[in-house]
Amino acid sequence: MKYFIYQLRKHPLAIVGIVVILLWIFAAAFGPSMLNYTYTQLDSDHQMARPGENGHILGTDSLGRDILSRIVVGSRSILTVALFTSIVSTLIGILIGFSAGYFGGLTDTIFLRAMDILMAIPPLVLSMVVLGILGDSTIFSLTLIVSIAFVPATARVSRGVLLTEKSQEYVSAARIRGESHFYIMFVEILPNTTGPIIVEATARFAYSIMMVASLGFLGVGLQPPTPDWGMMVIENKPIIAQAPWTVLFPALAIASLVIAISIFSDFVSKVLVHER
Amino acid sequence: MKDNILDIQNLNIRFSTFDGLFTAVNDVSFSLGYDESIGIIGESGCGKSTLSYSVMKYLPSNAQVDGKVIFKGDDLLQKSDKEMEAVRGNRIAMVFQNPYSSLNPAHTIGFQLDEVGIHHQKLSKADARKASLEALELMNLGDVKAIVNRYPHQISGGIQQRVCIAMALLCKPDLMILDEPTTALDVTTEAVILDSIKALRDKLHMSLIYISHDMGVINKVAEQIIVMYNGEIVEKGPKQEIFNHPTHPYTRALINCMPRKGVVKENTKLNSIKGYVKKRGASEKGCPFADRCEKKNDTCEQLYRMREVGPDHIAACDRAYATDIPDKVVKPVKKVKKTVEEVQDEEKEIISLDSLTKVYGTRKKVYAVNGIDVSVQSGSVLGIVGESGCGKSTTGHMVSGLYKPTAGKIIFNGKDISLTWKKRDKETLKDIQLIFQNPGRSLNPSHTVQQIIDRPMKKLGMESDKNKRKKIIIDMLKKVDLGKEYLTKKPRQLSGGEQQRVAIARALTIHPQLVVCDEPTSALDVSVQASVLNLLNELQIESHAAYMFISHDLNVINYLSDNIMVMYAGKIAEYGTRDEVMAPPYHPYTEALLSAVPEVDPTKRNVAIELEGNLPNPSKKITGCPFAGRCHKQVGPICEQQAPPLVQVSPTHYYYCHISAMDV
Repeated sequence: MKYFIYQLRKHPLAIVGIVVILLWIFAAAFGPSMLNYTYTQLDSDHQMARPGENGHILGTDSLGRDILSRIVVGSRSILTVALFTSIVSTLIGILIGFSAGYFGGLTDTIFLRAMDILMAIPPLVLSMVVLGILGDSTIFSLTLIVSIAFVPATARVSRGVLLTEKSQEYVSAARIRGESHFYIMFVEILPNTTGPIIVEATARFAYSIMMVASLGFLGVGLQPPTPDWGMMVIENKPIIAQAPWTVLFPALAIASLVIAISIFSDFVSKVLVHER
Repeated sequence: MKDNILDIQNLNIRFSTFDGLFTAVNDVSFSLGYDESIGIIGESGCGKSTLSYSVMKYLPSNAQVDGKVIFKGDDLLQKSDKEMEAVRGNRIAMVFQNPYSSLNPAHTIGFQLDEVGIHHQKLSKADARKASLEALELMNLGDVKAIVNRYPHQISGGIQQRVCIAMALLCKPDLMILDEPTTALDVTTEAVILDSIKALRDKLHMSLIYISHDMGVINKVAEQIIVMYNGEIVEKGPKQEIFNHPTHPYTRALINCMPRKGVVKENTKLNSIKGYVKKRGASEKGCPFADRCEKKNDTCEQLYRMREVGPDHIAACDRAYATDIPDKVVKPVKKVKKTVEEVQDEEKEIISLDSLTKVYGTRKKVYAVNGIDVSVQSGSVLGIVGESGCGKSTTGHMVSGLYKPTAGKIIFNGKDISLTWKKRDKETLKDIQLIFQNPGRSLNPSHTVQQIIDRPMKKLGMESDKNKRKKIIIDMLKKVDLGKEYLTKKPRQLSGGEQQRVAIARALTIHPQLVVCDEPTSALDVSVQASVLNLLNELQIESHAAYMFISHDLNVINYLSDNIMVMYAGKIAEYGTRDEVMAPPYHPYTEALLSAVPEVDPTKRNVAIELEGNLPNPSKKITGCPFAGRCHKQVGPICEQQAPPLVQVSPTHYYYCHISAMDV
């Protein structure tokens, strides 16, 4: 803990990132119960209300729905999807990357080519197509497909760190006492690769927020009535001239969260990877 | 004052880190005259490098420096970075430890050398190249025109380092700082480089600061010696004085802890310095060495002052006042019981290698080991010595099962085990243990000491009860001089010597019959090396395990081995019992190796036989004697054409050479 504070003092920008992230987590957890309006409630007297009007802190959209309430509720789904995406894609990535790097040879080639094929399709296009075919997106399908789209990146990072660790003598030492491949990969090597992998996972967290928002913007994200930040931007686009806040605040929400997580990820990488 | 090129006055360097302020250099003053050379010696972590970097103002941003560094009348510490540019590389040049990382692999040698001339002296391209060639010629580099067109990876480490020195010479600096320039190199190349540095000084008359942890090397190049411990100068004086009357206990310990000619395990135990260099806060008082000193008394913890012990010779020891401390250079005394006699009755061949061969690669072949026949008796120590790249580590790794031999057999207790680890049975895996060169890399950084030692015991089926295992671990830790508190520590929290002790404990808890030690001390400080060697020796006697001890250091090999095998280019050059190999008749290569070892005694001056050139290209099969190209005793074309015959000197001693025993 003391070390953490010491590091924070050296990288003061990280404090901003962490505070913003904590605010969003707090908002997602307790926000909805603290607000006057629910996210589906139509305040028909105050359509396109300005921020502050009739208790709508961030105003309302063309149907009179409270923007703040929709952003806060939307943060729940987006944080959930992003969290699980980064976890799932990292786990699959470790599994694939480690087996490819550890066994090398043909296994490596097959896994790498498979990843290359997956990488050749832009993740956004891939997710759009699959989600379009699957029909209505749920949190589950969204998480799954975005995770798969991210696997090539996490697999490559895990493979890279495994390769540097694999040449270390402690691996040789484990081999000549007859350890199994599984033991060497996950008990000997894995704990020494946590730094870069955690950094990659936090970076993936930021990317998946972007991705979910983009998918929402393109109309294949979570379906109404669940509020989705990307979707809010696109559905209020026609009224951007009359009520700019309806687009501005969801966009700001996306930007603030993504930037905060990127700053945090940067900090984590400085502490975990470069300081060693 | 005016006639000194460099005056360092009350220099303090502190680093602010997470653990608080850490003093790297504490109140250091010394001066260096024109055309003088000074050697700075001390263990790693003593602030030698930090001190020299401060002369160049190459310090990280968290450093706080005060004091004065006066170079030719100007205080360098007051200069801005811009002004320093005129000094760095131009007036003061520096050569770093690892030539491979100080040369840019993406540019040719010539390009990198020319840059110095173009940048610092504003020469034209053609003039810069001319200057570069001249500098290279100063270093006796043979065909310099060919070298400038090569890339760093195309030349050997020794030549790389000489290129680095040539680069430092380009601007004809007044002061050259060499930071352990030969530590990463073989003894034979080291000898060549040290000689060329000496020749350079005669020619160019520059001042020199030479940093090393090796007393022998310092002896060869320096006139003045500064002994540093924990950021402070503990002794300073002319070379002769320091070697003949070392006054500070630390200086003495450093001189004594090196294994040297004639020091063997049967009659001596190496002197070691207990403990390791501790980080000190800025405010602590007293002698920095007090906690490790064998002769300390109460005042040591309080008092710390320089005292004059002779002309220009000062030492920071309280007792240095009374110059007549009896043991000037202590003869190591403690007897170690004999090893050979005890096991002689049950002596049998535990492992034998039968024309063992390893060829790496399929398309581009590298002949690493070319047919080695040797055997190790149970309970004896076979020392394998040779330059890097001679195949000694590959041999050790094949024995321990990391690689499969390309041809030949490894017979272990009558079983053919020329297999890799995958196919060896549990029993064999247990009986052959390997101790690696670098303990920092051979211990898993995220496991605790207990886990590290526990795992082989559990895996190789010695003891299934966890608590019993823990007791065994604690006992073993005690044997390697580590306490119970180390159980929960992780390798990163340990010093290099402690790490190697843990590695030794891991290898020996399961009672192997053969331990392959792959340069276990070469990554350690001399003082720590001594204690690790003592430990290995004691444990060997106690456990009756046979050792295959691989090292490039003949003195270490000489100390620990019963039999010695000298390897060159994947072949045996000479084999015999220790006393036979270390005395004439020699194989010419053994002779060259022996002569290259720097001597600690300044009165004895051995002339190193300079081995020019490199090891023969390992991707070609050699028909003649592999050593022919570098041999100083070549008899004629026969050396290049025919494989040398075996010359049997005695039943246990033979070598391969065209020169017969009589003539060698």
